[in-house]
Amino acid sequence: MANPIGASPTGNVAAALPQAPGRTSGAREWGFVETLRNAMDQAEQLQTGADAKVQGILEGEGMDVHTAMIAVEKADLSFQLMMQVRNKIVAAYQEISRMQF
Amino acid sequence: MNLFGMLELSGMALTAERLRAEVVTANMANLETTRTPQGGPYRRQLVVFRAHPAQAFPLMFASDFPEAARGVRVDRVLASPSPPVERFEPGHPDADKNGYVAFPAIDPVEETADLLGAVRAYELNASAVQASKAMLQQSLDLLR
Repeated sequence: MANPIGASPTGNVAAALPQAPGRTSGAREWGFVETLRNAMDQAEQLQTGADAKVQGILEGEGMDVHTAMIAVEKADLSFQLMMQVRNKIVAAYQEISRMQF
Repeated sequence: MNLFGMLELSGMALTAERLRAEVVTANMANLETTRTPQGGPYRRQLVVFRAHPAQAFPLMFASDFPEAARGVRVDRVLASPSPPVERFEPGHPDADKNGYVAFPAIDPVEETADLLGAVRAYELNASAVQASKAMLQQSLDLLR
């Protein structure tokens, strides 16, 4: 017969299917932690920059006030973005941990 | 991610306008100055602006239209070519032999208008900062 035992009629369909995106071997895995750490790193960088600029004003180094204000604003916004990312991640984690088996 | 492009551009404009206001203030302060390090009366200073690519390097690549996104920088501050005004003040230590003193050709009214322009332009760019802040805030609220 053309269909010996063991070889299903569907044959090698699974192998012919394209790989699921994000699952390619060798590519860096991006987990929750990495995403959060990235957001935190960026927020922290901007915080440090804003800190230095405000310090510059307070020490009378001739720093433009608006430059410092914009830096603070950037730091604030990226902190908020980081918080939003964190909220989403925690929400997703809780969703998964509540999953019933 | 070009989250802060607008803020960057507005920041450059604010810096430029602040410098313009500073130069106008210097003109006002030296309305009657007859002595300068270069000799002669103070010359009225003028600010020349130049369109400048956004300073932050990643910003240039993040923008969809790097050519369109241009900030502003003060290109140079140059002295006005208008000759000094001669006023008859024989008692003045800087008077020439005919009793005339060379004073800077600065019109206080003109300087006041210029200062007002700088203040208004600063205000304009500050409101652009507010606008971009509101936009960023709204895009963050999308995630809520």
